[in-house]
Amino acid sequence: MPRSCKWGLLVDSAALVRDTIYRSTILLDRQEWNDWLAHCDDNFEYAIRAWSPEINKDVTYLALDRNGLATMVKLLPKHNTDHSPLTRHTSVYTVDVDEAARSAKAISSVVVYQTLLDGINSHIDAGESRLFLVGKYIDTFKLQDDQAKFLSREVRIENRRLDKGSHWPI
Amino acid sequence: MAAKNHRQWLADPALKPSEWVDSRIYSDPEIFEEELEKIFKKSWIPVCHESELPNPYDFRTTSIAREPVIVCRGPDNEVRAFFNVCPHRGMIIERRPSGSFLEGQPSGNPKRMTCMFHAWQYDMRGNCVYISREKEGFQERLCKEDVGLRRLRCEVKFGGFVWVNLEDNPQTSLEDWGAAAFTCLRKTLEAEPLEVFHYHKAIVNANYKLWHDTNCEFYHDFMHYHNRVTGFNDAYFARKNEAFDHGHIVVGTFEVNYEKYEGFDSRAALSFPHLPPNQWYMIDMFPGMNFNLRGSALRCDIVTPLAPDKVMIEFRGLGLKRDTAEERQTRINHHNSIWGPFGRNLHEDLIGVQGQGTTMATGSEPRRILHGRHENQTIHDENGMRHYYQEWGRWMNRSPSKPDLPYAEPVSVAAE
Repeated sequence: MPRSCKWGLLVDSAALVRDTIYRSTILLDRQEWNDWLAHCDDNFEYAIRAWSPEINKDVTYLALDRNGLATMVKLLPKHNTDHSPLTRHTSVYTVDVDEAARSAKAISSVVVYQTLLDGINSHIDAGESRLFLVGKYIDTFKLQDDQAKFLSREVRIENRRLDKGSHWPI
Repeated sequence: MAAKNHRQWLADPALKPSEWVDSRIYSDPEIFEEELEKIFKKSWIPVCHESELPNPYDFRTTSIAREPVIVCRGPDNEVRAFFNVCPHRGMIIERRPSGSFLEGQPSGNPKRMTCMFHAWQYDMRGNCVYISREKEGFQERLCKEDVGLRRLRCEVKFGGFVWVNLEDNPQTSLEDWGAAAFTCLRKTLEAEPLEVFHYHKAIVNANYKLWHDTNCEFYHDFMHYHNRVTGFNDAYFARKNEAFDHGHIVVGTFEVNYEKYEGFDSRAALSFPHLPPNQWYMIDMFPGMNFNLRGSALRCDIVTPLAPDKVMIEFRGLGLKRDTAEERQTRINHHNSIWGPFGRNLHEDLIGVQGQGTTMATGSEPRRILHGRHENQTIHDENGMRHYYQEWGRWMNRSPSKPDLPYAEPVSVAAE
């Protein structure tokens, strides 16, 4: 349901959340990490998790707060890495807005493709796109004025076979 | 010498034969098949950790040298291993990676391993306890007592890992095979129960020994920004690379300065029992298992060779079973920041071994792979790999540097 922001304009909070998720997908694909972090609250928490039927446990593959993420992406140039670009296909399934609490929760499907560049044998493989990850984004937001800021993102993946993995936020 | 012509490129290096290997040992299909028969079907392999089957009737499936294996915990709490193969028509009995036989299955009863195909059922000791329409089909010619599962040597040891050997009469007991290498960490790993908190796997196009080589040599720490800033100091370069019988290697410890990597914290508050803070031990077990303890977390790598140039590596992380939720999460974060699939070091290691696999794919031109660094058996000495390949040569009766020739002990063994 639309609500008024401080300038008296009508804002559809659910649309705002969807728009933030989609714009973030583009920023992540472009590896514009700090621009993506600009959409995250100071108390933002990020995690990549999966259920492992092998060990019958929920496994956490990465967990960082906003500062941790900012440091991680800052140090990326110092690390050797697979530079094969990742392309995220995101579809927002549900957005539940709590107008009273000025918060929202969204669940999106995400499929991540990797277009090989330098990970294996670039002469043969570069240019080939492979399925890398299948999962969901489970996001929470703080709604303020005409913005939806990420409070948390859980990337819940199905994969436990992750081959070389990645240095990048998903 | 400047860049080489073809003849120069293929020439033996100016090192002793024990200081290099022929890349065919990483790519040749015949050698690979021989390795499965001569090494993997006769070695002690840690297939999982006991915490993965904590309760009676829990099971875990795996494979060794292409043979499907099931590990289950009996009502007597004993962990046993069997071929996961029905003796009737060769169906794989249990298809799930893990679970509990306390639940009945569509074809079978609770507390039984049931082959879904024809409903033959087995107890947790591998005895066949039910053949559907037994008398009608087999009369007196064959009965369930004749068709038990193939049982395998299985022991829980060295920190609760479940070790399986496909050989009925292993050349060496598990204790004799591994105890010396585990001496440095045994008191720590057996002080109290451990628990697995992390699992993921990688399949990379590289020979399994290339992954084990990476775990056996630390010279590649130049590849890791994290290890350079947290490690490169006098104590790091003094770490000993110690060889043990049966091809095992232990890399001695030193105190890692985790806080020198921006955003990382000391692991001191969650050290494993009996260890000073922020220690880092590495035990590399022949033919391809690794136990790596960094301060607050234990990592275990298990290789499953799939092809001459293809390997699956299973990665586990372990903490103390008694961890509080907060302690466990801290251990997980410590583990994953370096060793997780999205951590700083593991990705680099896997790119490295994949790069080697790319140049040593099956059919590629044989070349010489150097293991010739000598630094008083310290961290960047390549004595660990040399030691491994001596053991490999003995098991295979092939010279690692001239694999068409039988193995001969290097003259310099005593000096190692």
